[in-house]
Amino acid sequence: MSRIKATVRFLHAWRHPDEIAREVEAELRFHIEMRARANIEGGMRPDQAQLAARQSFGDFDRVKTECCEISRSHPLDSTPFKMMLHITLAVLSGLAALWAVNVPHHNFTGVMRQLIAIAVLAYLFIVVRRAKSQRRSDTNQSLMSDMSDASSGKITAYDEQGRTPVERILKS
Amino acid sequence: MVGKSKAGLLQGTLDMLILKALSLGPLHGYGVGQRIAQISDDTLKIEEGSLYPGLYRLERRGWIESEWDVSDNNQRAKFYKLTRSGRKQLIIEEQNWERLAGATMKALRAS
Repeated sequence: MSRIKATVRFLHAWRHPDEIAREVEAELRFHIEMRARANIEGGMRPDQAQLAARQSFGDFDRVKTECCEISRSHPLDSTPFKMMLHITLAVLSGLAALWAVNVPHHNFTGVMRQLIAIAVLAYLFIVVRRAKSQRRSDTNQSLMSDMSDASSGKITAYDEQGRTPVERILKS
Repeated sequence: MVGKSKAGLLQGTLDMLILKALSLGPLHGYGVGQRIAQISDDTLKIEEGSLYPGLYRLERRGWIESEWDVSDNNQRAKFYKLTRSGRKQLIIEEQNWERLAGATMKALRAS
């Protein structure tokens, strides 16, 4: 069910890219505003709080672009379906290309067949490019974690029982 | 070793942390970051901007879903919640992590 919803959302994102961009922007701005409020409550001046919130968020435009790209990326990426999809498309593209070169070019059917072949190849190209770009973005994602105790500069990755922070979370 | 150490989390760890945070109840993006910091006693601080691509990836995979609602301070915000497949995925991620952490710990303690 959730995969169907993801597919519907993907189609919606393709049809209404501007709306998705606005939604992403609103969501990210909400985050910065919440952070700024927390900073003010922590004793900062409003202008300082806003600046600190923007800085701690990082590159707003990069995050926005990345989120929009993910919304428009194929929902079957990163699943076994992805491999099946690519194999199917590759076979279809090969067949379409063979079909296209074996038909006369001077009649309507021939031209239509060639257009279909081009469309299939273009679709394959887009899907493969998106898959590559997604893999790159997954690899480059910044998952920085500061595992040090900022006040003492002492590494606190392990507690007294020798558990890592993530192990502690999983047990909580 | 003294000094501020920064280490990139393993691939997929952020996804697991987000799923864990949302397993405790629906949250907006800011709340997810806060909850991760809270349940790790402020040890794990996710770079705030990097949280959102993670949320969008998880939503695209169908492990979480979102809807716009009104936040505590009466502002429109996008709330995320775990789906059934997300809950299953969290169990898998936890098992994988425990296996990996256990093996790494064993290797580090080997004399």
